[in-house]
Amino acid sequence: MMTQALPSRANPGLFKRNPPIAGEAEAIEAAQKGDGEAFAMLYNLHKRRVYTLCLRMLGNVSEAEDMTQNAFLHLFRKMGSFRGESAFSTWLHRLTVNLVLMHLRKKGLNLVSLEETDNPSGEETITRDYGRRDPILAGSVDRIALERAVEALPPGYRMVFVLHDVEGFEHNEIAAMLECSTGNTKSQLHKARLKLRELLRSPGQPPQPSVDSESAI
Amino acid sequence: MTTPRIIDFDHLKPDEFEHILPDLFATGDGKVSQDPRLQKFLAANPDCAALVKDLETIAETARSLFEPVAEPSDRVWQNIQAKLAEDSALASIDDDYIDPGAPLD
Repeated sequence: MMTQALPSRANPGLFKRNPPIAGEAEAIEAAQKGDGEAFAMLYNLHKRRVYTLCLRMLGNVSEAEDMTQNAFLHLFRKMGSFRGESAFSTWLHRLTVNLVLMHLRKKGLNLVSLEETDNPSGEETITRDYGRRDPILAGSVDRIALERAVEALPPGYRMVFVLHDVEGFEHNEIAAMLECSTGNTKSQLHKARLKLRELLRSPGQPPQPSVDSESAI
Repeated sequence: MTTPRIIDFDHLKPDEFEHILPDLFATGDGKVSQDPRLQKFLAANPDCAALVKDLETIAETARSLFEPVAEPSDRVWQNIQAKLAEDSALASIDDDYIDPGAPLD
């Protein structure tokens, strides 16, 4: 009989995608000494990724631009504390995520309980999907369709999905950032993927963003 | 969900599978469909196998979203520059500041 205990260890990391960028190390060193041109170079190297992260987390162009601005201002003031223990982009992304989460908390958003917003009963189960298999999804998902479906996720699901599946943070890191348990983040991530599957299998009904362009999450 | 428990993979039921699926995805390399302990179960439960495949596909495609899709407007950099210039001017004022209460040399 094949009997085994499920380990409760953290995900060892499915992907590390922050290889060094040519010229970045020199720019960091110069920016730490107050070189404005070097800081401008760092901005140009990382602005798109930081902005895209903010946009995905906030779902709002205006707020995403404000948070991108805040992230780089914080970066400038905290450059001296970067010691190179992790990739610069990882460090910058963590700084950005923390700022966005702080911003959301100030707005009174309860990040941990957001799973309730889409499904108050919490009864989203796999069995709901049995018998509705769609062979189109098995094998490939269009990137743009997934991007739209992610926009349509409830904020709590979207947050964990973006941090884990897109950004590559591990459950223990996300749990620390969201101040909740890893069991909670695993559950949120699973429900997010189930919801995405549901959205992607309804091609006749294009997913609608869960928030309008100007409203808060 | 985080508490280790003994799972009888040879006699797994779909509802038990549903319960442990988040942990199965969170441990190992995330390739639940290739987990040797689950091959018998997945072969006998095609709906569960299809679900696993779909969730794996979603997770794999999500990695491609890491590449940025949007760019902030020029206003963002202009605001950053303005703010830094303002900070710099304030710092310069601080440097020039003379404490009126300080003893004269």
